This record gives sequence, structure tokens and C-alpha cells, in this order.
Amino acid sequence: MRTATGELSRLGLLVLLIGVAAFVSPGFLQADNGRVVLLAVSTVGMMSIGMTLVLLAGDIDLSVGGTAVLATVVGGLLIPTGSPFLTVAATLATGIGVGIVNGVCVALLRVPSLIVTLATLGIARAVGNIVAGGQAIYPNDMPAYLWFGRGSLLGVPVPILLFAAAAAFGIILARFSTFGRMLYATGGNLAAAAYSGIPTTTVRLTVFALSGFFAALAGIMESARLSYINPAGFAGVELTVIAVTILGGASLTGGRGTIEGTLIAALIVGVINNTLNLLGISIYVQQIVTAAVILLIVLPDSFRKGSRA
Amino acid sequence: VTTQSLEISIAARASHPTRDALIALIVGNPLLWLVLLITLIGMATSDYYLSAQNLQNLMRSMAVFGLLAMGMTLVLLTGRIDLSVGATMIFSIIAALQLMVLIGDVTHIKMVARGSSFVGPVTPFIALALVVGGFVGLVNGIGIAYGRIAPFIMTLATLTGLRGLNYVLTSGHPYYLQTPGYVWFGDALVFGVPISMLIYAVVFAVLAWVVGQTVIGQRLYAIGGEERTARYAGIPIERWVVLAYVVSGVCAAIAGVLFTARLKSVDAPLAAGYELTAIAIAVIGGTTLSGGRGSPWRTLCGGIVLAAGLNLLTLWGVSSWTQNIVVGIALIAAVALTEATRRRAARP
Repeated sequence: MRTATGELSRLGLLVLLIGVAAFVSPGFLQADNGRVVLLAVSTVGMMSIGMTLVLLAGDIDLSVGGTAVLATVVGGLLIPTGSPFLTVAATLATGIGVGIVNGVCVALLRVPSLIVTLATLGIARAVGNIVAGGQAIYPNDMPAYLWFGRGSLLGVPVPILLFAAAAAFGIILARFSTFGRMLYATGGNLAAAAYSGIPTTTVRLTVFALSGFFAALAGIMESARLSYINPAGFAGVELTVIAVTILGGASLTGGRGTIEGTLIAALIVGVINNTLNLLGISIYVQQIVTAAVILLIVLPDSFRKGSRA
Repeated sequence: VTTQSLEISIAARASHPTRDALIALIVGNPLLWLVLLITLIGMATSDYYLSAQNLQNLMRSMAVFGLLAMGMTLVLLTGRIDLSVGATMIFSIIAALQLMVLIGDVTHIKMVARGSSFVGPVTPFIALALVVGGFVGLVNGIGIAYGRIAPFIMTLATLTGLRGLNYVLTSGHPYYLQTPGYVWFGDALVFGVPISMLIYAVVFAVLAWVVGQTVIGQRLYAIGGEERTARYAGIPIERWVVLAYVVSGVCAAIAGVLFTARLKSVDAPLAAGYELTAIAIAVIGGTTLSGGRGSPWRTLCGGIVLAAGLNLLTLWGVSSWTQNIVVGIALIAAVALTEATRRRAARP
């Protein structure tokens, strides 16, 4: 369930990729580039941590992009108040709210999470656009908001710190807490977990709320970095996030995967995209390469497991 | 479950409907009553609802999404999913266009004029598009059935890859498809009915027959109902899964032809997110994601409800954003209701 071999082989792949990257593009190993890679993966990586938790519970969250849009827009409406606390709190609360709606529909109404979050993806995006009147919101007058995307602490950019903190939180939660054991049990076999007295409804609600929270936080990081709250933003991000999570070894059937694996996968995708960028290869070719890498990594895994799904 | 009881349950599900059963199917179908309700409200609130122009628009949009959903239905019946249909739909046209250009280079026939206008023969172009669509389905199916890659991941990867390829193959600029023979598929009317609707009707009739009356349908239901039992019953699951994906790919390619013939152009970013609408139509119709339950007929009804409902909202001047909210709520409500009735039925 929590084998280290998957992580080790992925770590090996990451080291190999870094070696290749350094070989084909001399710019890769410059100190500044490491920061570029980490900054580039922090948004998607943050969302992937929430997604991993949801996948571990045996569900899926397609709504992360819509959640990020709605949360940042709702927060953005409070920017005229001049209170960074209110703005950020409203953003995060909206993210958690969308997550709870997802969780209620999935765990209580028993609608498959794929359907629920597919619907809430569309709904959240639509509400965000209606609320924003289709207009972008500019948080330029609020330095504390911009700090989340552009600031740095002890020389380390804030998004990287937040990403690291989220990853540490995820690892502790999944690996070292009682909740983590209940999470793996719920995802491994929902009925058995419920009969064993595990509060599966609470577990599923919690992971959806956490996924909403991380999506909102990632939304703040991205909007602050661009100093631009975009109601049309985050298009298709859910698929990238799921791809990273799957690449990290999480299973769509639940109960299998680790936050560490997701972390390594985010870095793998980051290194690949960064190298292709340095080589001047278009973003569209990068999409094709990413797709190929996913299949190459998932294929041997699926043969080892010897079953579908 | 023994092989025999499996065969019986399959036979019961796919048996030939008598006339009484057919009437019961129509009368007992809440979706059709919903369509009737929408139509009545439409007639009462808008003079334009029953106009030929409006109904033609309704049918054209229904045909494109319906074709994607029809192919999707076969895949869903096996308990799998195809996220790549939206990308496949555009890719099959773009790839066919580039293949025609290659053929043109060899045979010295001019295929593209003024840099971006297709002027070649239409029949081989469309045939190539269908072959490309089928090929994408074949790749999906082989990866899933023989490569044992999870369907969600496999088709997510082809979705991502094909979206990228679409940009690379077109260099990011649109191609114009204004040859009269091609435009005909988008604009022509037969007795007032758009040709795209007729093509959709034919595809539906064929798939409804295949799923409802032939051994192919029985195998698909068996695989989706209980895959392990189907395997023990000796059904070559891999082959039927590949077939379902190939059908989905070809349906997507047909949808691509009708869609681009209406637009008279093709462009890489088109049809983004259409896979989600296709899934929504199938699911609103009552086809489940877990497999073994649903039919082309139900998907047809789901498509009619969605198209008629959205059309009415458009006539009312409701923004497309608000329409998205309605679709989302309808999707969750439809499945929650299905789940609730199923639980009640399962209770002794």
C-alpha cells in the first residue's frame, strides 16, 4: 500500500531527467533555474496534493480549476475593502465551501464523484464569471495579496514555501496520522471501512474540503503572481493536476498512492517542461511529450498490478 | 453467477421489445415527458420556439453532441470512459486535411489554396477523417484492453496529446473548408430537416440495433455488468472493448465533419470540453459510469432534453454562463434521482 519502490523508481527517473536536462541544456543547472522550475510547479503541485488526498479516498475532484476561479473572484470582490485578511479568508472559505458541496453530493447523496465534480466545475466557473461580470480583477493596490505570488521569505519565493508547507502537511496527514490510516482504509474498501467503524462520510467530506482549500490557495498564488484575477483562468488545469497525481503513483480506484510520489511527479513534469522551454520547444509539443511520459510511466505499472482500473 | 443465468439476464435486458413494451418505454420515460413539458413551455413563452429556423438550429447542435454521446454510450456500457472525444473530433479533421496535403504532394493535385483553404476532393477527405477517428479509438482501445492502462488515464493522455498535435499540425492557424461538397454537410436541408440530423438519426438507428438486437450488444452489457463473470463465461473482453472505442472514435470523427462543415473551418482550440457535455448527455439519459446500464435510446432522449432545454434558455435570453449552471445542477439531480430510485428498488 505504501511501498517505497514506486517512489524510488520515480526518484531515479527524476535524477535521470535532471542529468539529461543538464546535458542537453547548459542553462538548466544554474541556481536561478531551480527556482524557476519550483515556481512553475507550485500552483499545479499545490492542487495535486489536494487531488492525491481525494484519490486516496477513492474519489476524484475535477472541479479544482473552477474552484480556484470562483474562490479568487469572490476574494477579489473584497479587495476594495482594503483588508488582505478578509480577501484571503474569503478566498479560502469559498474554496472550502465548494469542497464541502462536492463532499456532500458524493458522500451523502451518493452521486459518483466524477459526475459531481464535473458538474461543480462548470457551475463554479459559471458563477465566478457571473459574479465577476466577465471582468478581470486587479489586486495591484494590495501588496499583501501580491506577496503570496511575488514575495519571498529568507530569499525563498513564497509560492515555493507554501507548496513545501502543503506537501509537509499532506505527508504528515497521510503517513503519520490516524486520519491518514482511515483515509487509506476508506479508499481501499469503502464498505469494509464503514463496517469497521471508520467515519467514511467524514473522511470523504474532509478530503474534498481540503482539495477545495488547496485549489483556492493555489488560485491566490497564481493570481498574485500574475497580479490578475482571471475569471477565464485555470482552463483545463484539472487534467494536468490529475496527470501529475497519477504519474505520482496514485490510483483512480483509491487507497493507493503517496504525497511523496505526487511531489516527485510534479518535479518530473516541471523538469521536462523547463527543459523543453530552455530548448525553445513550443508548449504544444510539450503537451504531446507530457502525454507520452504519462503513458510510458503508467504502462509498466499497470502490467505489474496485472488488472484493469 | 453461472454462465446460464448470465445469458438469461442478458437476454432479458436486450430482448426484442414488443409493441406494448415499446409503448411502455415511451409512456414510462420521464425524459420524454420532460421534452414535452419544455416544448409546451417553449410554445407558450416564445413565438420563435417552433419556427423552422429554431428547430433546425436545435437539431444541428443536438446532432454533434449526440454523436459524441452515442459513441461514449458504447464505451460507458463496458464500464469504461472516453475523455478524448472532443480532441478526436477536431484531430480527425486536421489529420485528414494534412494527409490530403501529403497525398496532393505525391499526386500533384492541389489540395490547399491561398495557404489555408481546402480545395481538394471531399469524399476521400471525409473517408480519411473517419479512418483517423477509428484509428484514435483503436489506439485507445488497445492501450486500455491489452496495455491494461486505466481508461481514464489512457484517454486523458490521448486528449492531451491530440490537443497538442492539433496545434502542431495547424501551426496554430485555422484552415477554411469552403468546398461546396463539404459545406453541404453543414447547411443542407432535406424536407426542412438538416442533413446533420439525418446522419445522426442513421447512426442512432444502427447503434440502437447493434446494441439492442445483436450479440455485440449482449457482450457489451455482459462486460459492463460484471466483467469477471463475463470473462469466466469465455467472452473475449479485450476485443469488444477495442470495438467500443473504435465506434466512439468514428462517431467523434462524424461529429467533427458535421461541426466543421457548419463552421466552414477547422481550428485547433475548437470543441474544448465537449467530452464533458457528451458524458453529461449519456448520464442524464440514464447510462451509468459503472457500466452495464443504459442504451443508445436513453442517450438519444438525454440529448433531446439537454438540447431542447438549452435552446429554450437561449430563447429566453439566459446567458450561456447561467445555462452552464443549469446543466451542472441537472446533471447532479439526474444522477441523485437515479441512485435514489435504484436504492429504493433494491430494498426488499
